[in-house]
Amino acid sequence: MRVRAAAHDARLTCVDMYLAKVEGAVVATKKDANMSGRKLLLVRPMLVDDKDPTKFKPGVNTIVAVDSVGAGEGELVMFTQGSSARLAPGLRDAPVDAVVIGIVDSVDVLGKQIYSTKQQ
Amino acid sequence: MLLARVDGSVIATRKHPSLEGWRLLICQPINGAGQPEGSPQVAIDPHGAGLHQHVVISSDGMAARKAVGDDHSPARWMIIAIVDETSTPKSNS
Amino acid sequence: MRLGAVIGRVTLSKTIPAFKGGRWLIVTPFTRDHFQHRREQPKGLSRDFSLIVYDNLGAGIGDTVGYVEGREAAMPFPKPTPVDAINVAIIDDVFYTPAT
Repeated sequence: MRVRAAAHDARLTCVDMYLAKVEGAVVATKKDANMSGRKLLLVRPMLVDDKDPTKFKPGVNTIVAVDSVGAGEGELVMFTQGSSARLAPGLRDAPVDAVVIGIVDSVDVLGKQIYSTKQQ
Repeated sequence: MLLARVDGSVIATRKHPSLEGWRLLICQPINGAGQPEGSPQVAIDPHGAGLHQHVVISSDGMAARKAVGDDHSPARWMIIAIVDETSTPKSNS
Repeated sequence: MRLGAVIGRVTLSKTIPAFKGGRWLIVTPFTRDHFQHRREQPKGLSRDFSLIVYDNLGAGIGDTVGYVEGREAAMPFPKPTPVDAINVAIIDDVFYTPAT
């Protein structure tokens, strides 16, 4: 898979990462001081369907992720989870466990392009 | 992080010392439309969230340990924000 | 932390030194349905798999406990210890009033 605006940080290349669809945003005035100015996105993981690998299967849960690339609603993004999320720029002291680290351009599975921003 | 709704609280006399004095809130994960998703988590609350308020909970243990001030605390889920509003355009569903 | 009901105990004949004196509980995790039962023990087992939880607070069968999963479960140990679920609270009361 090729990803536009790929990981800013080399350390981010060896962690758990998933694709997800941005389904909305969360606005919170009262939040941890280390998160001020940060946009929170509601994302739904998009997994490759094991029955039909040319399709995505939406995950069952919604996740809140910090935006670090300026992603918008409806876009397919890549996000990283766990303590690795703090390795993203400016999030060292933020209490976060999920961060959007890229906006997806296209996805190929088994030689077939299953997603491209050009088709949208 | 998960979007969640505060559905209650729990009281425990016998607990890890690092949790002494902390509000332990039952947080039901929800989706953008407010529908429950999955099982409730109990989170520590440094922000004073109220019953049925929507919050963001994080599983970042490092932040939770810092909040309770104990490097050996098993605390994991913590309320990190109280939600003002959630925007989920219908066009995306 | 998640809540669960203690449904059993495990004893080990041989283990690593770090676990000396610790106890092991079999816990069935609470799902949303279980919370509705309040103080009563939920009927039957949870849909979610039961798990083994390390305990040094002294919980017994029938207790409701709050347990932590993942890397954080090993934090109370002075040395790196291979634990991924630990009992951190024996629950006295649950106040649950879900929004409708």
